Amino acid sequence: MDNKICIMTFHTTYNALNFEKALKREVIEVKLIPVPRDLSSSCGSAARFYLKDKEKALALAKEYNIELDELYERETEAEKPSLLERLLKKK
Amino acid sequence: MSSRLQIILSGLMVGKLGTILVLFGNPVNMGVCVACFYRDIAGSVGLHQAGVVQYIRPEIIGFILGAFIISKMKGEFRVRGGSSPIIRFLLGFFLMIGALVFLGCPLRMILRLANGDLNAVTGLFGYVAGIFVGIQFIKQGFSLGRSVKQKPVGGYTMPLFAVVLLALLLLRPAFITFSTEGPGAAAAPIWMALGAGLLIGGVLQRTRLCTAGGFRDAILIKDYHFMWGLIAIFVANLAGNLIFNFEAFNLGFEGQPIAHTDHLWNFMGMTLVGLTAVLLGGCPLRQTILASEGDTDAIITVVGLVAGAAFAHNFGLASSPAGSTFNGQVAVMIGLAVTLGIAVLSTQTSVSMERGVKSNV
Repeated sequence: MDNKICIMTFHTTYNALNFEKALKREVIEVKLIPVPRDLSSSCGSAARFYLKDKEKALALAKEYNIELDELYERETEAEKPSLLERLLKKK
Repeated sequence: MSSRLQIILSGLMVGKLGTILVLFGNPVNMGVCVACFYRDIAGSVGLHQAGVVQYIRPEIIGFILGAFIISKMKGEFRVRGGSSPIIRFLLGFFLMIGALVFLGCPLRMILRLANGDLNAVTGLFGYVAGIFVGIQFIKQGFSLGRSVKQKPVGGYTMPLFAVVLLALLLLRPAFITFSTEGPGAAAAPIWMALGAGLLIGGVLQRTRLCTAGGFRDAILIKDYHFMWGLIAIFVANLAGNLIFNFEAFNLGFEGQPIAHTDHLWNFMGMTLVGLTAVLLGGCPLRQTILASEGDTDAIITVVGLVAGAAFAHNFGLASSPAGSTFNGQVAVMIGLAVTLGIAVLSTQTSVSMERGVKSNV
């Protein structure tokens, strides 16, 4: 259960940013990523979070009136941060 | 294959093809330039009369047909649109003006950089500055509106356009003009340019590589997926230039091919490109790919690019190796003003992050 993740897509980047803000406010781990290629050929932003936080996240989206597109559940753990990401984080 | 490896490989391929196309005849540092190539096409079909930049570039035909065929095969050809088409036309129009004042789209900027042209560094700063400004609007709620599913017929405009261009290129009717000198006359063989275009179009439909998306994601959501692809374009092109064409490598500002040293306007031109591209959600190359997989808003953007190119050469807005023109400088300022106006008016401030407050979306 702990490694299962959710990918939420949005109609606008603004919604994705607000979703991230709302989750972070409640200290729920969330990361914005480009929409995974297998979900769409578009290039917007999606939010990735753990499946265990799904109900809480959906409730928050409703509470803050954040418009959502689709929710996908994934079996696998998300990709590890890249070398570049790790280097930039160290700065 | 991991998605990161895919994006790096597709970047390497674009960079490498950039080198090869120049070796076989394309203008220097212009192995692939989406803005320049639409400009050449506009001239060739008589939309402008700048004699040295008129040619139906097979690469563009390839991008369109490659992306169209792959999206059809993968069931991803979806016809949609209706997200502020006229605004997209204007943004595409001014994007082209900015690109022709700098002399290149963001992709050519990377290729110029990879051949030692330091004017492209000035352009890069401008490009990132433009994207940064655009991101501030996105953070405040900028959106051109949601696109909706449309009737399929409109989505075939782009592949049909490509087929017509291909016919004109091969049949060369009298009303089509091809440059006999200058950059427009420098071209790789048709089959090679077409093949490279098909490959790039197909691969980029799969990987979604975008020069605007790379910087946008890095700045806005701290995701470096697309940035890896951009770095790969630079590395592959730099390596190719150094290995296969070392004599042409020239580090510096002066004497760069199809470029000028007007620093302020290199910067401002690319600022306009960065700002319009991020508001559009993609650079000219990405817009071309989207247009080919059924996004009719992207088709309108491409029409804007072509119209912008025609205007740029009809009214003396485009720069030359001698530098930018006064008209071009005025046009860039008008473009920035119009684009900022569009950004302000398309930014919703009515959504509140307060709990329970109803949004007006």
